[in-house]
Amino acid sequence: MTAKVETAMEQIEIATGVLVVGGGMTGVETALQVASQGYAVTLVEGGAEIGPGAESRPRGALPDGADLADRVARVRASDRIEVLSGTRLDAVAGLAGDFRAWLGTAEDVIERRFGAVVLATEFAVKPLFLGYQLSPGKAVIGQSDLENRLAEDPAAFAERTVAFVVGFAQNGNPLVMQRVFNSVKALQAAGAAGVNVFVADLKVADDGLERCYREGRDGGALYFKLKAAPQIATAEAGVTLTFPDPVLRRAVNADADLLVVEEALEVTAANADLAAMLRLDLGPQGFLQADNIYRFPVATNREGIFVVGASREARSLAWALTDARNAALRVRELLGDGKRSVPRDKAVVDIGKCTFCLTCYRCCPHGAIYWLAENKPVISPVACQGCGICASECPMDAIQIGGFRDDEVQGRIGAALADVNGDPAIVAFCCQNSALAAGEMAAQFKMPLPAGLRLVQVPCAGKIDLQYILDAFVKGADGVLVMACHPGNCKSERGNTYAGWRVEDAQRILAGAGLDAERLRFATLAANMGSDFRAIVVDMAQKIQELGKVSQ
Amino acid sequence: MIVAERKPLDEINAMLKGYRRVLTVGCGTCVAVCLAGGEKEVGVLNAELQLVRKVNGDPIELGAACVERQCDMEFLDPLEVLVDHYDAILSMACGAGIQFLAERFAEVPVFPAVDTTFIGANRDVGWYEEKCRACGTCVLGMTGGICPVTMCAKGLFNGPCGGTNNGSCEISNDQPCAWYRIYERLAQQNRLANIMEIHPANEWRNQTPRTLVQAGYRRRKEALAS
Repeated sequence: MTAKVETAMEQIEIATGVLVVGGGMTGVETALQVASQGYAVTLVEGGAEIGPGAESRPRGALPDGADLADRVARVRASDRIEVLSGTRLDAVAGLAGDFRAWLGTAEDVIERRFGAVVLATEFAVKPLFLGYQLSPGKAVIGQSDLENRLAEDPAAFAERTVAFVVGFAQNGNPLVMQRVFNSVKALQAAGAAGVNVFVADLKVADDGLERCYREGRDGGALYFKLKAAPQIATAEAGVTLTFPDPVLRRAVNADADLLVVEEALEVTAANADLAAMLRLDLGPQGFLQADNIYRFPVATNREGIFVVGASREARSLAWALTDARNAALRVRELLGDGKRSVPRDKAVVDIGKCTFCLTCYRCCPHGAIYWLAENKPVISPVACQGCGICASECPMDAIQIGGFRDDEVQGRIGAALADVNGDPAIVAFCCQNSALAAGEMAAQFKMPLPAGLRLVQVPCAGKIDLQYILDAFVKGADGVLVMACHPGNCKSERGNTYAGWRVEDAQRILAGAGLDAERLRFATLAANMGSDFRAIVVDMAQKIQELGKVSQ
Repeated sequence: MIVAERKPLDEINAMLKGYRRVLTVGCGTCVAVCLAGGEKEVGVLNAELQLVRKVNGDPIELGAACVERQCDMEFLDPLEVLVDHYDAILSMACGAGIQFLAERFAEVPVFPAVDTTFIGANRDVGWYEEKCRACGTCVLGMTGGICPVTMCAKGLFNGPCGGTNNGSCEISNDQPCAWYRIYERLAQQNRLANIMEIHPANEWRNQTPRTLVQAGYRRRKEALAS
């Protein structure tokens, strides 16, 4: 049942300028990397200057070798990079290869055309005193404050005892731990009398962190791994931390001259606005990237919009710089030499039928649909992923997907059912990213499958139209399976969700028409789940045996 | 836009009892936009009818068509050649479209497949809110752009009434008080004085169907009539 797709291609011209948003370390590196691929870059920074002033990573999260000044100088010297500081990103329209951005300066709003956008936004550094019911003071300081003092006057820490609390006021992460480990070593180098770290979870899943931790410990630092934060009593001269010792089975006190409280590196409040403007799905903790196993690390749900560093995760600078190089490669892959060959029929809107209801625009998970004032919706062949969610939601059937036009799919449903003789007929609509491969695997491994089972391939479960499901029953199916990817595994973000909703709707309709709603089932699979595929279809066949064939 | 809701299959099937050849006609304007009666919904409804008739052992022959707007006679012309073949028409348009279809093809029974619900706005896919009752006397200029005829349970032109209840209406805590919202909006715009002006009562009694001829077309209509 594999659809044979013969696609006519066409050449289109796309813009090759690249907009980089954010002038901190990551943004500057991204601009350099993209420019080194030969593209013109516009680097936009909201603050007064790119470089150190725009960088949000605290001193302790910037390794010693992080030479920002040198990078800024290279940006300034590059004839491919235009720097616009003191400039806001006011609005962005259009799609991959043809973005329009409005950049607001103090005096003016500039409109520019870009082929791709890279977001290199910064962190918000949030002290977590409140998480420990503390307020900063002489004996209680934040991690950033410690890092600054250590850099400016390390001798002040000689013969002092310092305690850290980390991981109790937030879910710890390697970046937070890295700062603590580095400070521990700096304190030891400064001749501190003792360093005690009270920690919930030691997160060391990053390059060199385990070593960094051990070096501090070998230098005499004590780590106390506790289930809950220690009780903290503050006084003018220092703090006393009380915690249960599981070996001694009693509470133990530890005094310190100075208590250092952890900080969170979070997204800024501007992230949500940026996501709304760019139609990006927000990910965990508000970062500008939803999880999707099909995507390269710096990709988003929108083709041509990439996220690097603090835009997408709280990790070390080394990873952010890797992101910058990665983004440059993705940009080159997308923009090439400005000419792209795209399928002519990837998704075609019948303008005569279209009633401009905006359903497609609202449903597209890739933000691949826009409209022009003088026109009806336009689906970008560059940004469109061909999932068909729009086509299956369109109330006028005005969108057709190449290789999966409604008449083609309905023809395949009819053809599939035509040669079922006597056995209960089961049509399984299979997403080609998962269930189809699982079904083919089950067949290749000669797993026994119901004789009346017929597979109908769809590009994504989001293409399984309510009407396809009902048509299958009209054309003689006794049961229908809608087989999608697992939750969170959909290549098109929400195709499986749409399919699930439509199955619920169709079950209601079937019940209303006097058919048992059990004749329609929704299942999720991964491509390697051949035997699960078999189990699902066999179970379905048994159910249909119980219910009998639909009366003719 | 006019918003409509698909009738339950049972009700439609009951209306079509005894009819063997039915033409389902969608409308490509308001009811398509509100996902109730466009080409897709015509296909889905026909599939439902086919299934229910198949289960009941009472097969039905169904035709499908979708016109640009059922409330314009010219768009009904293409149906002329189809209608003869059918013994009933099922219209998925709003009440206006259904009546035009019934008027145009007076010899064939025309049945409604949707309930025309309200004049509303599109909040999101499949999600509509009533905004206007077509009272014919728009006061939105005085009420901060919030319609008291639609939003107020009493449809008061002058409010709030004594039943306003900390932002809610006396009929339910879930129902916001229209006039409280109007007050807030006017206050936000520094034009609270508007709320003090008394708007004369609308003539709600003895309403007959309204006919409107735009000012520039009155002469033409008279000329055509004579």
